[in-house]
Amino acid sequence: MDALVSKYAHSSASPLDSSEGFSQAGFDAAQQFALPMFDIPMVSNPIDFLRAHTDPSAENRIRIQHGTTTLAFKFQGGIVVAVDSRASGGSYIASQTVKKVIEINPYLLGTMAGGAADCQYWERELGRRCRLYELRNKERISVAAASKILSNMVYDYKGMGLSMGTMITGWDKTGPALYYVDSDGSRLKGERFSVGSGSTFAYGVLDTGYDFDMSVDDAIALGKRSIYHACHRDAYSGGSVNVFHVKESGWEFKGNFDFDKLHWDYQAQPKGQIV
Amino acid sequence: METLFGITGKDFVIAAYDTKAVASITMMKIGEDKSRNLNDHSVMLYSGEPGDGVHFAEYIERNVKLNGIRHGLEMSPKAVASFARRELADSLRSRKPYSVNLLIAGYDVKKDTPALYWMDHLASSAEVPFAAHGYGAYYCLSMMDRYHRPDITEEEGIKLLKMCINELRTRMILNMPDFVAKVVTKEGIRVVQL
Amino acid sequence: MSRRYDSRTTIFSPEGRLYQVEYAMEAISHASTALGILSKEGVVIAAEKKVASKLLDQTTGGEKVYIINDNMICGVAGITSDANILIDYVQRSAQQYLYTFNEDMPCEQLVQKLCDLKQGYTQYGGLRPFGVSFIYAGWDEHYGFQLYHSDPSGNYSGWKATCIGANTAAAQGILRQEYKDEGLTLQEAKNLAIKVLSKTMDTTALGPDKLEFATLEIKDGRVIRRIFSTNEIEALLKENDLLSKTDEAKQ
Repeated sequence: MDALVSKYAHSSASPLDSSEGFSQAGFDAAQQFALPMFDIPMVSNPIDFLRAHTDPSAENRIRIQHGTTTLAFKFQGGIVVAVDSRASGGSYIASQTVKKVIEINPYLLGTMAGGAADCQYWERELGRRCRLYELRNKERISVAAASKILSNMVYDYKGMGLSMGTMITGWDKTGPALYYVDSDGSRLKGERFSVGSGSTFAYGVLDTGYDFDMSVDDAIALGKRSIYHACHRDAYSGGSVNVFHVKESGWEFKGNFDFDKLHWDYQAQPKGQIV
Repeated sequence: METLFGITGKDFVIAAYDTKAVASITMMKIGEDKSRNLNDHSVMLYSGEPGDGVHFAEYIERNVKLNGIRHGLEMSPKAVASFARRELADSLRSRKPYSVNLLIAGYDVKKDTPALYWMDHLASSAEVPFAAHGYGAYYCLSMMDRYHRPDITEEEGIKLLKMCINELRTRMILNMPDFVAKVVTKEGIRVVQL
Repeated sequence: MSRRYDSRTTIFSPEGRLYQVEYAMEAISHASTALGILSKEGVVIAAEKKVASKLLDQTTGGEKVYIINDNMICGVAGITSDANILIDYVQRSAQQYLYTFNEDMPCEQLVQKLCDLKQGYTQYGGLRPFGVSFIYAGWDEHYGFQLYHSDPSGNYSGWKATCIGANTAAAQGILRQEYKDEGLTLQEAKNLAIKVLSKTMDTTALGPDKLEFATLEIKDGRVIRRIFSTNEIEALLKENDLLSKTDEAKQ
């Protein structure tokens, strides 16, 4: 309404004016979909602020863990998701046993590249929203909608230092679905993605070995091998390989494979055929 | 590097975009839609900062559609472009400006004329007979200067577009894969694979 | 009975009526008349100007007909001070639209905008409705020439010819009789407007100082708004043989 009206509307001291009484009732459904609000540093440029605290030359610097190889691809039998498990802060290996596939719910998976905390926090928030959606609408959320929620959430914090590159996969009414979402605000639907510092290495093996009509076992083997080769060449990737298979009935964990063991297994095998 | 093209003719506008989605040195996807239909006779192409393009175009799309529903009148391409320019200009003076380059192609049903608006990320806007965004503009604007006439047919328009794309494929250091064109006429918007 | 319900505009009476809104409309039916006629070539707005005293300085312009946008004019019946607020609002709205969209606001949208404000004043607590009715004449590329009427409740509607203020029943009777189904020329519309006013105005002597008159037409794709000067109104009256004896004597 016009400013003029609101000006006069509130000047009346009518006892019947109970507009305030309603909002004090407590429960507000819209609140549950509101974006989580964080205290943002009171500086004009949050990125510069963050950089000042993460720069190698800074005193008491915060090391944000980076460096990863993750991949996911669609094929005839659904989607294969494969990731490494190394967390590094600069040249220091912080952990070799990180879970980089985030189980959002029994039929949605998210992968983790970039800031571990950012991925974990926002994908958990995404899980909460997906569950609320399910309770309200009595049906599962589509992967398209879920990935858009995530994309919109991180887009609201664009330019404030979030770092995440993730793939959201799952199976909905439209069949298997795969989206790439990152903290720049990009959201791409696709058949085949790899994210992280080792992604170029993984792409090389994945793209050449890929065939949509491959069997489930072959697809899992390809995912595993692509991550292995990335771990071999990328210093910031390693540890072990975790593989998941997304099917109509939901996702299934296909195992954890130690990198060193994989290395000697693959060494014993002949090189791939050049076609 | 993203490239957008626009060419007007006697009774149509062609707007084309490359379908690459790039993240640093990796091509993440071919076949990305970089356009949004704002109403039955206006389409917006966008390029620039990842995320901003989709967000801004969808914001404009929704407002234009809401306006159409509320008033039962279709906004003219001129009104759409003016509105988008205003929103971009306002955002430019905010804490976090959108960084998007736009082409708005439309057909003004009331005036029975095609319309093409070129707009950059600083919200300078101009109505033009043909336009390009991105590095592709450095090769193709001269070609359009050389070959474009206001009365070209749709067939010639598509041909000119293909000439431009061919030039990019021969001279640009970066691989230029598929382009998709949207043709706007009195009848509406349709997609043409190039 | 009504005492309990008519002091607050936001409350319906048991009969389902909003008394304050009805009172506002009643106030308008005592105000001086304004009428509008749509023709094929343009729109006419004419209004009766009540001259309270011959000492009143009339050089500062009229108070019944206003320009609200490049493509729109309006006639007013009711409380002039209320009308001023609304006209200021609607003029701003039209300019705001021009600022955003770089083209003139469609007529109906502008009428609707003003009616939204009027409606608000029939609902929000402690407010009095605007005691004004409007007649709007406009042109846009969507629907060509248009004539609208709006009342204090915020209702509006499109017309071929209509009238607000005192003696509306009589005036509308004549309009209904004289309006041809196939439409009028602008000249016919002007003559009809003068005729209706001459028959419905309370004063016996019709003179240029008792009228306000305006037309809206289109030339070379541009909307031309014309608010008549005293001399032009006089000429129009003369054409229609309606100039009062005293005025003629003055010449």
